[in-house]
Amino acid sequence: MSSSTVSVSAATPTQHPFQRKVDEIKPSKTDINFVVMDYLISEGYPRAAEKFAKEANIQLPLEEESIQSRVEIRRAIHAGDIDTAINKINDLNPQILDTDPALHFALLRLQLIELIRKCTSSQTSDITPALNFASSQLAPRAATNPDFLRDLELTMSLLIFLPSDNLQPQLAELLKPTLRRQVASKVNEAILTSMGTRGESRMRSLVRLRLWAETKAREVGKDLPPSLPLGLQDGEENGSQTNGSNREAVDVMVQ
Amino acid sequence: MFRRQSSYAAVASGNAGSSPSNPVPARSGAFSHLANSGSHPHSITHPRHSRSFDADGHHNSMSTSLGRSVLPSYPGQFGYLNGYGGAQDGATSAFFVPSYLRGSKHAEKLEEVHKARIAAQREYRSTHSSNAGSLSTSSSSANLHKMAPSHRGLSHDIIERAPIVVEEPVAPWPTRWSETEKFPQMEVDDNGRQAKFAGAQKGPDEAASVRADYPMPRQCGIYYYEVTVVSKGKDGRMIGVGFSGPKVPLNRIPGWEPDSYAYHGDDGQCFSNTTSGKTYGPKFGTLDVIGCGINFRTGTAFFTKNGHFLGNAFRDLKPNMPYYPTVGMKKPGETLRANFGQEPFAFDIDKMVQAEKASIQSEITRGTGPCKEKVSTDETQFIHTLVGQYLAHDGYVETARAFAEEVIEEVKAVLNDENAEIPYQETVEDLDAINRQKIRAAILDGDIDKALKHTTAYYPSVLRDNENIYFKLRCRKFIEMIRKCNELNAQCHPIPTPPSKRSTTSTLNNRNSTATDDYDFEMELDEQLGMHNGAPHWNHPEHMDDEDELEDKEAKLAQLTQDTIQYGMELKSEFATDPRREVKRALEDTFALIAYENVRESALAPLLETAGRVPVAEELNSAILVSLGKSSSAALERLVQQTEALVNELAGDGGPGAFINVRRDFLQ
Repeated sequence: MSSSTVSVSAATPTQHPFQRKVDEIKPSKTDINFVVMDYLISEGYPRAAEKFAKEANIQLPLEEESIQSRVEIRRAIHAGDIDTAINKINDLNPQILDTDPALHFALLRLQLIELIRKCTSSQTSDITPALNFASSQLAPRAATNPDFLRDLELTMSLLIFLPSDNLQPQLAELLKPTLRRQVASKVNEAILTSMGTRGESRMRSLVRLRLWAETKAREVGKDLPPSLPLGLQDGEENGSQTNGSNREAVDVMVQ
Repeated sequence: MFRRQSSYAAVASGNAGSSPSNPVPARSGAFSHLANSGSHPHSITHPRHSRSFDADGHHNSMSTSLGRSVLPSYPGQFGYLNGYGGAQDGATSAFFVPSYLRGSKHAEKLEEVHKARIAAQREYRSTHSSNAGSLSTSSSSANLHKMAPSHRGLSHDIIERAPIVVEEPVAPWPTRWSETEKFPQMEVDDNGRQAKFAGAQKGPDEAASVRADYPMPRQCGIYYYEVTVVSKGKDGRMIGVGFSGPKVPLNRIPGWEPDSYAYHGDDGQCFSNTTSGKTYGPKFGTLDVIGCGINFRTGTAFFTKNGHFLGNAFRDLKPNMPYYPTVGMKKPGETLRANFGQEPFAFDIDKMVQAEKASIQSEITRGTGPCKEKVSTDETQFIHTLVGQYLAHDGYVETARAFAEEVIEEVKAVLNDENAEIPYQETVEDLDAINRQKIRAAILDGDIDKALKHTTAYYPSVLRDNENIYFKLRCRKFIEMIRKCNELNAQCHPIPTPPSKRSTTSTLNNRNSTATDDYDFEMELDEQLGMHNGAPHWNHPEHMDDEDELEDKEAKLAQLTQDTIQYGMELKSEFATDPRREVKRALEDTFALIAYENVRESALAPLLETAGRVPVAEELNSAILVSLGKSSSAALERLVQQTEALVNELAGDGGPGAFINVRRDFLQ
């Protein structure tokens, strides 16, 4: 149909047959825009979603009331303000944490980590609040589940080693922002699921499907080019070199 | 000037002489010819006839020779059309999707093929209905097809659609027992659903088998069919249900030969490739429903009896052998009836397929990375990059900015006061993106002139280097003009004009049209453009009381019509000599819009839709990006393409991809 595609692909004379199959697929813009909108809504980017509805001329999905709360909850968790986050979650729907003990425990543990971080920030600080919180909130829950117990023990050992610049990796992980992100995203999914909508955004599913499909196809020895670039690097070359973590992410997809 | 108008109209309608009161409903252009010729068949020379006379050479036996020689020539000339149509007739009535395959990619593909055939057939019928029954007109119409270049008829369609089917054949699923792949004394009836052993048994080892018309398609992932034992005959119940390769002898019960597999009713054993079976399930007989399925992903086969799963029977299936549903019987009178999905199944196969899908789904969700947690963090950043790049690439400037802000906000919150480097840049204000957004917006608004102006101003080389896009924009402009004419006309004539009163409408138009001495074709054009009369969004009737406004509008309409014709002529003269096939075809399609009296109901209706602006806008956007040395499609788009292609690869041989419909499961 579109001869522009033909002229573009003609630029690479030795083309892998699989690449031709890829080029033959014409994804619909409507579908892609839908996936983008779904992502903005479900992962909580309300302002972008609003603009996108205007610019792409698509309907903003029925103003889903939870989006603002979800953004606030995410922000609170990201900032380490777990108390606020838990209150907001319970305001929204107390069932969420009641029916998901693992999620509740993950939040409480995050709170404990923040307490420990505060308590150990200087040599003179008092660690009693952290101990109290651990014994009153986490210990009873940990008793019911070996996984919880292991997590709690690991977290408590922070008290011994902090402050330190040289933690063992397992402990260092606990202090990384990554953990907050993970918990925040789990909370977001739980809220969405509790409202009867899809927990995981389609974008995320799609990215996973792409990764899975390539891995599978290579496993069974399908004839594929050595790499399937997405062309994201183009943009990165224009950008700065501090982009290491992004490049890593891209490489995961591309390898 | 006026002469050129006339020639334009001739092109547009395909026939300068066709009268406005043309009785042919579908197309007033090329087919008015046919209709006329139908009423006067002798006024046209039929090459076929003359040839047959010449060959025959005997004038005294003319009438008989006509009957003899013309009739056989009919299938000769039209054979492929007729044979095609006829064969499809059977498939048309029989097309079905087994319940467990609904929504699957393979079912979608087959349905597309089916629809394309139906459409080809419908067009065949509608274009030939006016002269049906008259052999001579049929043959003359076939000749006209070839002669009339501005007409896109059935012969084109078939030729153009066929390659899609040929290039990538979509494997059909079994629909009936084969009339040919059967033991001679096996009787197949009830539209191929029932198989009965009618003969007498000759030797102790001899049996009667029949295969289905098509092998079980691997692309289904799981294929399943059922048979009901209608009668196990007088003294036997030696019935085998299973599947076999295309070369397995049909005088043996399935399961006993290499490449054949079956579950036998007399002993409940299952047999694969040999005469020695293994204990498997219960015996079965009259009125039992036996199901047989293959899971191509795992390379296993299973059976069910009266809705109960009996477990996996075989694990040694060959990865490349086509397996046909096969049944075999030994005793006269034994009768089996098959259900290839035309009816609900006794066994809940849907549930099994759902479970298979769910397990693959959870495998995907779990992720395959070595360290899942790490992948998920990188994934978040990866998606941020992906979405940000898509928004910028496609020129959603405002959204891109808002998204970047929100992401940075989020990242800052996570990093807290650690003041670490933020792995995202502030979006660079991209002038190109703004320009591209402007151009896109113009096209999406239907303002092609503005888009052309901006493009020429900002990216002068793009239209020069991409003539096809330039051409598409020009065509689109013509379509937009026709659209406007339609709308205006609808406002001028809010009372639905029945076809019989059409002459009134023309007179009305005529009164207001600018003075022109050959208004004939223009009237026709007005009329055709005004086919929108009955559409629901005409102006409110009270506006009609305002005579001035009406006059004003009609003057505008006349002017617009004039402009449209003028523009059409320019377009035509600019590209008429272009040798490229797609250009020719696009021109034909565009001009055919005028040839149709009722575009909204014609096959070309999609051309008028505003949705048609989107691909033009996207193509231009891509071309501009290429001219700027950037990639023509966003990474997200490529990701979707790659995903579909990869899943297709995993589906072809019945692998896990067969259980995934990317578009349906992930994009909607």
